[in-house]
Amino acid sequence: MANILDGLVLGLQFGLLATGLTLVYGLGGVLNLAYGQMAVTSAMMVTLAMDAGVPALPAAGIGLLGGGLLGLFLDQTILRPVYRLHDEPRVLLSLLLTLGVSFIVDGFLIWRYPLKALTLHIAGGAVEILGVPMRRGSLVASAITLITFAGLFVFLQRTTLGRAVRSVIEDEEGARLVGIYPDRMLRLILVLSGVLAALVAITRSMVTPVNTTSGLSITVFALIVTVVGGLGSVAGALLAGMILGIVSVVAADFIGSYISLIILLVAAAVTILIRPAGLLGVKE
Amino acid sequence: MSGRLSSESGPSLIGGSGDLVEARSSRSLPVLLIPIGVVGAALALVPLWIGDSRVLMGVAVLGLAFACYAIGFNVIFGSTGQLFLCVGALAGIGGYGAAILADRVGLPITVSILVATLTATFTGGLLSFVAVRRSLGVIFTGIVTLIFTLSFDALLLGLSGLTGGDTGRLIDSGADTFLRDQIAPYYLMLALVLIFLLIHGLLQRSHIGWAFRALRDNEVAAELAGVDVARYRVYGALIGAAMLGLAGSTYAFTEGRLSPTTYGFGQVDVVVLVMLAFGGIGTLFGPIAGAVTFTIVDEILIEFGQLRQVAYGILIIVLFLRLPRGVIPTVASLWRRVRGRCLGFQVFR
Repeated sequence: MANILDGLVLGLQFGLLATGLTLVYGLGGVLNLAYGQMAVTSAMMVTLAMDAGVPALPAAGIGLLGGGLLGLFLDQTILRPVYRLHDEPRVLLSLLLTLGVSFIVDGFLIWRYPLKALTLHIAGGAVEILGVPMRRGSLVASAITLITFAGLFVFLQRTTLGRAVRSVIEDEEGARLVGIYPDRMLRLILVLSGVLAALVAITRSMVTPVNTTSGLSITVFALIVTVVGGLGSVAGALLAGMILGIVSVVAADFIGSYISLIILLVAAAVTILIRPAGLLGVKE
Repeated sequence: MSGRLSSESGPSLIGGSGDLVEARSSRSLPVLLIPIGVVGAALALVPLWIGDSRVLMGVAVLGLAFACYAIGFNVIFGSTGQLFLCVGALAGIGGYGAAILADRVGLPITVSILVATLTATFTGGLLSFVAVRRSLGVIFTGIVTLIFTLSFDALLLGLSGLTGGDTGRLIDSGADTFLRDQIAPYYLMLALVLIFLLIHGLLQRSHIGWAFRALRDNEVAAELAGVDVARYRVYGALIGAAMLGLAGSTYAFTEGRLSPTTYGFGQVDVVVLVMLAFGGIGTLFGPIAGAVTFTIVDEILIEFGQLRQVAYGILIIVLFLRLPRGVIPTVASLWRRVRGRCLGFQVFR
């Protein structure tokens, strides 16, 4: 039971992690390999703000704002030429260019702030849930994640803007014909994905420290969960995150940590091979 | 997702129409052998220049290993359009495999290199077979092979009894032989580079090369014209993976120690991609030009530490935005435009 709960906590994080990536891919065919670096950069902003004496909550706000601005910056600069291509060349160029961005960010952060890490301490002792003591930090992180997911679903299902976003994911040309500007939706989603990246970094720092070198592993896990869940599907990202989170924690408990990583990876690979569209994929 | 590899609109990232010209120019052997001989002679002179520095010779041997990796990756990605993000892992299967076979099992070095290379070849072929069978596109092939790389890394760290984990392991076999000399390993790796170049050049001129070009330029048209696309993709992966395994295992014995970073994703795959993008994806001599340039650039930038990574990032962006065909082919075609058709530069297209 403790395993399942820990797995759920991890799974929620995985799910939120993948959401920012999967929306951008589904909407724009852009695979953002600098996603983890966006998260780490936001985390560093929060750390620096807190070092300067800003209280935790406004500092987190600065981080979220910073993440959104990073997304806007990517959209306005490096992704401009990417939008001129279509289909597979577009994905490939976006992947290579954002790989370049991730190198620049990683190199700079590790050079400038080699030992900085973001850790948010949530005060208070463990809380018993279903007889299992859970750390308060994990619970706060999971609560924030769940609220964010609820907000995302309401936004995508109930608001006009959200429906416009979904229409672009399903059929870009059709959306254009009914008067939706796909590039504006894409800009919106890139900003949103930046905010989500920052949020992942902040909630994660309540459980384990987020340091300057975490960027690559965040990107890789986001990518795996995204692909397993189905590119462009938020529900798929949540489902895949939960499954992979539980698989990872249970396997770690029964077998040992490195085998559990391999089991996680093999599970992801098998899913991709059996269902290339992912569990809840929108596009073939 | 569409199965096409290169677009009709916009710059094509995977190979150009370039080497159609090359193939048309001549299928005779001298046209291939002369430039390879020139490259070999030029590289053979390097120890005269830096031969008395153990450190610089180590850098040069690593540079040649990277040239080998780049040729292998070029055969897989440049010729058949399969984005294998497991260059380091395949070379690592060769390197770690051969080291463990020689040290723990006690096989002779040549036999262990052979067995490890065959294992890497089989693994590469299997990955390609699965990708082709499930008709994964470029991106999904990239993701599946990336997952393979991550699993390999996890295995290296996990099986620390065999691999030495994070700190790596020393290789005892071959310690007192010419493999650990200052100069000899350089010529051994150079021989590998030249053999790989020759194999790739002969491939380009054979019926397999024609099939590679056909399936890369337009997969559907190639299939309709009777090219067994799946079969030739697997051929490409087998040949490339064999090169990666052989180069990885040979390098392991000349280096004498292995660690996860020797074949790491950031240390090998990304660098090879940059080298190839610089030299020209799909061209015969692009990998050499890229490997030589970046070995020198890396050595110059070494004092900047982490900021080197920033430089690489900027370079990746500039290369793929401005010169998607690669620096060398672009410069060569500018040169040709200025000077008219020049036979010497034919090979770079």
